[in-house]
Amino acid sequence: MTIAFIVIGLFILVLINVPIAVALGLVAIVGMMISRGYDSVYNAALTMFDGATNFPLLAIPLFILAGALMNTTSISRRLISLTSALIGFVRGGLAMVNVGVSMFFAEISGSAVADVAALGSVLIPAMVRRRYTAKLAAAVTSSSASIAIIIPPSIAMIIYGALADASIVQLFVAGIVPGVLGGLAMMALCYWHAVRQDLPREEAFDLGRLWKAFKEAGWALMLPVIILGGIFGGIVTATEGAGLAVVAALFIGGVIYRELNWKHLRKAMIEGVMQTAVVMLLVATSAVLGLYLTEIQVPQNFARWVMDLTNNKYAVLALLNCGLFVIGMFLHGAAAIILVVPIVMPLINQIGIDPIQFGLIMTLNIAVGQQTPPVASVLVTSCSIAKTDIWETTKVNIPFILVLLGVLLLVTYVPAVSLTLVDIFYK
Amino acid sequence: MIKTLNRWFEWLLEVASIILLISLALVVVLAVIFRFSGSSLVWYDEVASVLLAWLTYYGAALAALKRGHLGFAGLFLALPRKIRSLAFVLAEFFVISFFLAIGWAGWYLLGVFGEETLISLPWVPLWFTQSVIPIGAALFIAAEILSLPDAWHKALVGTDYEKQEIEEAIEEARQSS
Repeated sequence: MTIAFIVIGLFILVLINVPIAVALGLVAIVGMMISRGYDSVYNAALTMFDGATNFPLLAIPLFILAGALMNTTSISRRLISLTSALIGFVRGGLAMVNVGVSMFFAEISGSAVADVAALGSVLIPAMVRRRYTAKLAAAVTSSSASIAIIIPPSIAMIIYGALADASIVQLFVAGIVPGVLGGLAMMALCYWHAVRQDLPREEAFDLGRLWKAFKEAGWALMLPVIILGGIFGGIVTATEGAGLAVVAALFIGGVIYRELNWKHLRKAMIEGVMQTAVVMLLVATSAVLGLYLTEIQVPQNFARWVMDLTNNKYAVLALLNCGLFVIGMFLHGAAAIILVVPIVMPLINQIGIDPIQFGLIMTLNIAVGQQTPPVASVLVTSCSIAKTDIWETTKVNIPFILVLLGVLLLVTYVPAVSLTLVDIFYK
Repeated sequence: MIKTLNRWFEWLLEVASIILLISLALVVVLAVIFRFSGSSLVWYDEVASVLLAWLTYYGAALAALKRGHLGFAGLFLALPRKIRSLAFVLAEFFVISFFLAIGWAGWYLLGVFGEETLISLPWVPLWFTQSVIPIGAALFIAAEILSLPDAWHKALVGTDYEKQEIEEAIEEARQSS
């Protein structure tokens, strides 16, 4: 009965376009007031405040700000030149450049839409000029942007880590191998398309051009090296690394590239504040819903219900993957993580699944969700740039979605893919 | 009149949020410097967490003013115009009621904290740090009301905020490339 109230309440509120953050809090407050009286509202207000003070989440505004600062400079053009000099000589090289740059750049600012817009507005018209179909250009841009969600630094992983009480640094490390595998598989798919459609090579490989492009993009490349090196090396925490990222982005954009001015800076900061607040309000109100769900023992009952069905770890993971796939089609990434993690974590712990591995499973499902309409902001952005129909593009995008699903299955059923590096460095 | 008020309110929220964001970044960077110099800041965790909460509430009001919070407009926009208008009024009622309840509870709690202070900074009273609950709720309600006329118009003609955001992001990216 209570579950029905929560589900129906949430559905109606979301249907009439109440922001998801408010819908979560409202359902929780009404439920708590019904079961425990009006005094619950004080508890809800306090829990909302506490939810917004979750220390590991401090990394979010700082990484978002660093990304927004880098977005305002010519980093995308420099990275495209470098990747083009590196792999542009292969048939279908421009599509591979798109994948390579996206792996580095996408999801950098916390706003997938802004990142895809930055890359897509340069690469999609260039691909169309080189005889790629607009649908293929949109599909490559969109799906390669989504694989970046598991390549550090990842806002989705920070949110998951904070909510699941899992090490954010270990999540970052766990994402490297699946991220690179996914990227390489997408490049292979681009090559297959290129051979089939007789798509051109870019220019011949030239060491001089590569060196020039490397020098131009060198500082931009130094940013992740310094920050991730610091975090993985145990010199700084993820939050401190995010703070250093802001300083480094200011230094590179303002002093080295001399492209940052007050207008850029102000825009980047407002962007950073808005993205952070949208995610953090969700975290804050979901803390109230989490409190209510725990009080009425929903996570525990959910775990018991699933365990009654099966206690086979892999069958449970298959069930969760199916559920997350459907949720990903209808919810934005951050909202899906915030809603799902508190409910499923008791089950994950009970059945003995490594929370780091499940973090990867969760974020990969988000990546797939970004590609599956009706709610697929990354795909919609790519299609808007390419001026293609979303459903027609989705047909071309299916092989790329299958790559994402392949990586998801690999991470789900071969834990070593995500956990080996973690075991080597941290256990 | 509403447009002028809207602009001033947006400016005020932007200034407050930017100050909070810069403070947060400075606190984190200072903490790193002090930790490496061998004298960690004892107040770092507590102050940074409070700043994050403040940033959340002030930034949330700014996002509300620009109608930037995550929703699911697809189903709403598919509703017939008359039902959509009714749904819009109901949604606004629910949003404002939620923040009225949170703001009222937050205001009441300020009195309950009495003489309590932060643990690492005993001269900072808890009522000061938690004042963001009623203030943030009031700011959210104000943002919701000030953006209401524009949102009402867009709801009636069926404008999708997400689509608008995507178009703006593409336009900006085109200009900068």
